[in-house]
Amino acid sequence: MPEKKATTKKTESKKQDTKKVAPVKQEVKKQAAAAPNAAVGSTTEQKARIGVFICHCGTNIAGSMDIKEVQEYAETIPGVAFVDNYQYMCSTPGQGKIEKAIKDKKLTGIVVAACTPRLHEPTFRTATKEGGLNPFRFEMANIRDQNSWVHMHDREGSTDKAKDAIRIAVAKAALLQDLYPKSVPVEKTAMVVGAGVGGMQAALDLAAAGIKTYLIEADTSIGGRMSQLDKTFPTLDCSQCILTPKMVDVGRSPNIELMTWSEVHAVEGYIGNFDVTIRKKARGVLTPKEAEARGIVGGGCNGCGDCDAVCPVVKPNNFEVGMKPRKAIYINHPQVVPLIYTIDFTSCVKCGLCVTACGPEKRAIDLESKDEFVTVKIGTAILATGYDIFPIEKKEEWGYKRFENVITSLEFERLICASGPTGGHLVRPSDGETPKRVGFVLCAGSRDNTGTGKPYCSRFCCMYSLKHAHQIIEKIPGCIPYIFYMDIRSFGKMYEEFYYRIQDEGAKFIRGRVANIIEDKATKNLHVMADDTLLDRPIDMEVDLVVLASAIQPSADTNRTRKLFGVSCSMDGWLLEAHPKLNPCGTTTAGVFLAGVCQGPKDIPDTVASAEGAASAASIPIHMGEVELEPYFASCIEDKCAGCGMCVNLCPYSALSLVEKDGRTVMQVTEAKCKGCGTCGGFCPGGAIWMNHFTTPQIVAQIDAFLLGGEQ
Amino acid sequence: MSESGINHKFAFYLGCIAPNRYPGVESASIKAMKKLGVELVPLKGASCCPAPGAFGSIDLAVFYAMAARNLVLAEQMKMDIALVCNGCYKSIWEVNHKLKHNKDLRDAVNEVLKEVDMEYKGTINVYHTAELLYNEKFIGVDKIRDSVTNPLTGARIAVHYGCHLVKPHKDREFEKEVMLNTEHPVWMEELVAALGATPVEYRNKMQCCGAGGGVRGYDIVHALDITNEKLINLKEEKVDALTDICPFCQLQFDRGQIEIQEKFGVTYNLPVLHFAELLGLAQGMSPQDLGLDLHGISCEPFLQKVL
Repeated sequence: MPEKKATTKKTESKKQDTKKVAPVKQEVKKQAAAAPNAAVGSTTEQKARIGVFICHCGTNIAGSMDIKEVQEYAETIPGVAFVDNYQYMCSTPGQGKIEKAIKDKKLTGIVVAACTPRLHEPTFRTATKEGGLNPFRFEMANIRDQNSWVHMHDREGSTDKAKDAIRIAVAKAALLQDLYPKSVPVEKTAMVVGAGVGGMQAALDLAAAGIKTYLIEADTSIGGRMSQLDKTFPTLDCSQCILTPKMVDVGRSPNIELMTWSEVHAVEGYIGNFDVTIRKKARGVLTPKEAEARGIVGGGCNGCGDCDAVCPVVKPNNFEVGMKPRKAIYINHPQVVPLIYTIDFTSCVKCGLCVTACGPEKRAIDLESKDEFVTVKIGTAILATGYDIFPIEKKEEWGYKRFENVITSLEFERLICASGPTGGHLVRPSDGETPKRVGFVLCAGSRDNTGTGKPYCSRFCCMYSLKHAHQIIEKIPGCIPYIFYMDIRSFGKMYEEFYYRIQDEGAKFIRGRVANIIEDKATKNLHVMADDTLLDRPIDMEVDLVVLASAIQPSADTNRTRKLFGVSCSMDGWLLEAHPKLNPCGTTTAGVFLAGVCQGPKDIPDTVASAEGAASAASIPIHMGEVELEPYFASCIEDKCAGCGMCVNLCPYSALSLVEKDGRTVMQVTEAKCKGCGTCGGFCPGGAIWMNHFTTPQIVAQIDAFLLGGEQ
Repeated sequence: MSESGINHKFAFYLGCIAPNRYPGVESASIKAMKKLGVELVPLKGASCCPAPGAFGSIDLAVFYAMAARNLVLAEQMKMDIALVCNGCYKSIWEVNHKLKHNKDLRDAVNEVLKEVDMEYKGTINVYHTAELLYNEKFIGVDKIRDSVTNPLTGARIAVHYGCHLVKPHKDREFEKEVMLNTEHPVWMEELVAALGATPVEYRNKMQCCGAGGGVRGYDIVHALDITNEKLINLKEEKVDALTDICPFCQLQFDRGQIEIQEKFGVTYNLPVLHFAELLGLAQGMSPQDLGLDLHGISCEPFLQKVL
């Protein structure tokens, strides 16, 4: 099959070689006439003189195609005035070639055949500008990612494909016009969604940089997952001890407006000018500030807990993973920030005992409170929505929720924590006994290709399981941890050293994935069945307690929130960064950034680092005061517009509206909102929408260049 | 439902062990399924499936060609295949699945089949009768419950699923659509409950019977060791009978108990019945019709409890 394809291509290019093509000058004129004045910069009457620059990208491109042949072909394309090639077009000498050629050869447009616009469009636009042309007179032909990389072993085919790509790019370059980016002012406020350690750090950094920041948290208090942990690896410092000061700072910072028990309800606008509506969920308890606003001087919740003492409704405490009771009016734990109680209205019976207990002075409780909606204006936003534990009961072979003594690592954290439900005594849920043999199942639902679990590595389970092993050795004399692992991934600073330390402390490591866990009905002990792949024998290990290092997944509300902000996600649900290596905090939506685990599994140091990165990135547009928008917006050719309004409904960015003009109804574009997606332009029945930089004549010329092999 | 009461017809693939060792499985399947609106039409001229462990481990070409020949016979009848054995399911379902999706393999197999003037076309599907019984599209639990005239009330029955029907999980389509659960399934227990009996969970339910994959043929003591472990776990729950959906598993548990007695000196006397036999009993078939007297371990204590 590939051979056949190559031959057709060859004849096509031959045909193209022999027949010379009419100049594209007329097209330029036509287009200039059709374009509405508002949308076009200076129009060009002169004949197109295109410069083509072919990049070798080392051997990335040159290794898979015949650069000389491509260059010789490019020289024959009508409108091409100059062709050159270079090892690395993106290098300083490479860019210099472009600048020099523009001046020497009086070029009107530039085509660089290299990698992707995502990577180097800005580079070459700058070079085009330095050479004296409008930067938008540059077009890129992708002959690497979409050609040499995928056709690595088809030299002839990729050479032909590169010729096609360059011919198409030249056809567009001949019709490119001068465009001028617009600037919009940026609101000097930011928002961080999610107040775990990542969100808190991002908010603190923004606040320290003098930016007013709204910190939105869906739970009743801040701190996130980290506040549920007992100790942190590899330093073994107490998680709460290092987190509490940050929580207090967040609560006190004059630049941070903390909104707990709140979620993002709606987002409108664009970078620099987002309008975000927050739903403040009915809390039933007034803060001192809210009380004062209602004229209750010196009132509001002071966290005394008198209400908690009298509340008759008992529910499981989610913060303690359901292992401790709480009332219908509750706080998550004693160190909460903010120290304001919350009523769980789904279980409150409205008996009013709490109102009486709170008393006539504080009057903090309002059983009739309703959800409130607040809209704020922000310039940039950071999503730090974190993670949930994968429901590990789906891996039925390990019996979570079927066998009492199989628990998750998060449950272990609460059980070993001094402020947890057992006061820090690790016990078996079945009988309250102290376990002497504890099995740890690593990669529980992670690195799982069965379709039930998650294919990715959850990245911190190895390390916290080592920490768990250390904790039980330290707390329970004679207790042996048995760690069932695939590989121990101890990749961070001082992590490998920690791994050796735990080995020396006496933890037992068994390299083998656990196939099955069986409960002994009489003793409630568990038999962990695995294949010991180092000793090459099956193993049946009887233990008193099993801890599943469950995989993690994006938090429940992540998908809804990301859609509001127009952020993409990868197949596994983690939010998608603009570039995995070079722009890990940015997203494809300008002004929206990612911090922490919502982008992919991270441990605490990485989460904090990513949060600081996101805060820095989010503060740049705010400090600059204005942002430049790509001039790719749509514009209306008013003479042709019938005012039908179909485009207005289609626009995914609410950028279009209908206005009265000279007694007629016509469409109008809010340029700052328009992303240039082309939905309206492609649909408009009257052809009345002009898409800058993707005009109909440009696209038609590209299609013709491909289909007709250059004949037009 | 059509006038005859028959909604579905299948080419009935018997396999080797059912007709030779447990003929009741054959008669019960045909009769009981008919009452549930499914007619099983004998697949004439069928060969061994062939056994996935014994053949599949030695010569894949023979394995594919033989299974394909059985499939072609059903294609000629223009009927989907129904079968009663997990081993047969592994061979015939899986070969059908692979031949449908792999052109190179299909061409190679057809090259062989040409010698007997046959061509595999990939026009039919393959089902296990247990799947037909549970899936509402064909029969479903409610219909089974309604067909019971002699409820097996008071009997404590444990289920052995067998391996090849449920694994490998990734390749088994019906699980994704109907049964979902493979590591700790409970749909067979639902079927047992529909007959009026009490399904009983036991330790390490999903463990292999010990016979499959050629283990019984290669190393009988090792195979019996696995069977013995399952029997220990079953004894713990004081069950009246074990039910299965695979004659090879049944052979291992039934005759295997005699061999365990000889080799290990342990006696269990646990009646082992294919689910088709249980269904037949619950629908009023006599133990003689079901050939229960041909079992290695007497079913009498169980029959006294339920009849």
